[in-house]
Amino acid sequence: MKLKSIICKLFPVWIILALFTMTATAGDINLSAAASLRDAVTALTTDYSKENPGVKFINNFASSGALAKQIANGAPADIYFSANPKWMDYLKDKKLLDEKRISIFAFNSLVFVGMPDLKVKNMQDVPTLEKVAIGSPSSVPAGQYAMEAITRAGIDKKLENKLVMARDVRECLMYAERGDVSGSFVYKTDALQMAKKVKILFDVPQELYFRVTYPVGITLSGSKKVDVALFYKYLQTTQAKEILTKYGFVIN
Amino acid sequence: MFVFSHSDYLAILLSLKVATVATLLSLPFGFAVAYIMTYRKFRGRVVLDVLVNLPLTLPPVVVGYLLLLLLGKNGWLGKWVLQPMGINLIFTWKAAVIATAVVGFPLMVRSIRTGMETIDIRLIEASRTLGAGWLDTIVTVILPLSVRGLLAGSVLMFARGLGEFGATIIVAGNIPGVTQTIPLAIYEYVSSPSGDVMALSLCLVSVTISVIVLVFHEWLGRRMVKVD
Repeated sequence: MKLKSIICKLFPVWIILALFTMTATAGDINLSAAASLRDAVTALTTDYSKENPGVKFINNFASSGALAKQIANGAPADIYFSANPKWMDYLKDKKLLDEKRISIFAFNSLVFVGMPDLKVKNMQDVPTLEKVAIGSPSSVPAGQYAMEAITRAGIDKKLENKLVMARDVRECLMYAERGDVSGSFVYKTDALQMAKKVKILFDVPQELYFRVTYPVGITLSGSKKVDVALFYKYLQTTQAKEILTKYGFVIN
Repeated sequence: MFVFSHSDYLAILLSLKVATVATLLSLPFGFAVAYIMTYRKFRGRVVLDVLVNLPLTLPPVVVGYLLLLLLGKNGWLGKWVLQPMGINLIFTWKAAVIATAVVGFPLMVRSIRTGMETIDIRLIEASRTLGAGWLDTIVTVILPLSVRGLLAGSVLMFARGLGEFGATIIVAGNIPGVTQTIPLAIYEYVSSPSGDVMALSLCLVSVTISVIVLVFHEWLGRRMVKVD
């Protein structure tokens, strides 16, 4: 049949096209970073690329948990920035990281944001609100830290059925900005960088949660690339640290 | 493997509740629209046809976003009608029902229309010549003969409603115990590195419910044929 012969002739063409995937060139760095680092890391990669023009960054921002899962499932990543050491340890246990090159990159703190006229001054005022957004604790570090603080403050039962789960900390902030929730738990850096309509109503007391710690690590695939090692060294220079502080992150 | 947490049971119950309410809510509107499209000829019929079928072809996320623009605090309906009345729909289970109803509506209308088009037109003409008004004809002739279409449409819409994700997550959000349906719960587990077992368990629940619904649909279809 005519149709059959056409399909037979085209089949090898399809196979060849399917195999023609875009291969990354040697100067590419696949970077996966927590959503809260979006602006700071983009600034760092831009700054680094200025002095090292041959290097191209492919940036992937999402919640740290989702990223860890992607990497564990074989997604290409050379360097990984997490907002919680838990996810870095998760990959370390799976032997997916270069164990000699993991270091603490920055620190952050948790705040509660909402519309400026809201009468909320501390954790105990939060259950009076109708709906509150937090990152999904199963994969978003900001949500994990927030849940920890909520539990330690003893208001978890009162907040049942009131918590809206966001897929990352930026979505959390967006919910508050849109006014669909009364307030949300986000990082201080997100509030300072991105908040337009909402403002920081109070800082969540540090004794209620594990300090927000950002580790950075090189994966096994990344350890084979020279450019990745050089970028990792760059992250420890004063120049890099200045960029981080500009975005509100704490270095020590 | 089948150890479900409290929030998982809530998700299953919520899915069933939302799908049921959405289907029941859409029945009268679906019937009305199907009737107009089958029996009334008017200008702009094509426009109505396209509008009704639009949620079927649009990505559910688009439907969700448009609903948000409509019903949100600053939305066209929200700002001028809902907020002054103190009605807040976004991020409530009602929003989940609305999203599910909108997305499933075309399926219901199509099924009812198919059923209506098989009704012998002479029966309707006969009722009219015997003096029945249009409403009387609808209630005593068209409605009873459309039951198969109504049931088929309901079952189809219910099944689609159980799986609604894109529109729901935009307009109702992911709130465990309030709007977190089975697809949203699975999505949350899939995003989490340790959630694969739970995701699979809920997937199995979803498949089981779907199989039950489809088998029921088949059985209904056969029963209807026997009665004829």
